[in-house]
Amino acid sequence: MAATLYAADPPDLVRTVELEGLTLLYHCRSGLTHILAPPAPQILAALAGAPASAEEIARRIGESFEVESEDPAAAIAARLAELEAAGLVWRTRA
Amino acid sequence: MSETTSGEESKAGPSRRVVLALGAAAASTVITVRPALAQTAGSVLNCEIPVPEKSGSFIAADGSVVPAGTPGAYPPLARPLKGEEVKTMLAGGQAPAGVNAEAAQAYANYIRRLQAGMSGFTCYASLQMPR
Repeated sequence: MAATLYAADPPDLVRTVELEGLTLLYHCRSGLTHILAPPAPQILAALAGAPASAEEIARRIGESFEVESEDPAAAIAARLAELEAAGLVWRTRA
Repeated sequence: MSETTSGEESKAGPSRRVVLALGAAAASTVITVRPALAQTAGSVLNCEIPVPEKSGSFIAADGSVVPAGTPGAYPPLARPLKGEEVKTMLAGGQAPAGVNAEAAQAYANYIRRLQAGMSGFTCYASLQMPR
């Protein structure tokens, strides 16, 4: 069974400002601004190149960071759900 | 937030990578800021959309901006429309007070053509977003 793939807009379709550990993100297509805390910006960065499954997202993040979590799969799923609700991430087919 | 390069080894030994906590499942890491910010859920309905964004031009039936006096085009609105009025108008409901039905259709088409960077676009976009 194919895993669900998640996608996000490329970096040139958003504007970001780093503010002391938080990221202010203006999403050009919707005109909405979001305040993001880690690991939300890192998840979006992991999706910048190409859509990916939750597992692949965790792997991409792991290339740049030492991931800390009691249940990485559940945490990534929760973060993706938040980003989907905000309209910053959506599901796509392979 | 500064990020170090990942996994590279310096001459002095392996560099430490930045730790990234994924957060508990119940944590919240995304907050959406609504335009025309207020503390009530209805605040977005008070944002404004001027029609057109720059005064002096008229609005053609298809919503495009045309020179003043163009035959068949409608004059600019004297006041910006409130988000609530636009939402009703776009849903095919009542035209705003003082606006006839045909003109309302033209103004609605103008609003639907709004692009990022034009005055009122953020208000219009936020009316489209589900909550």
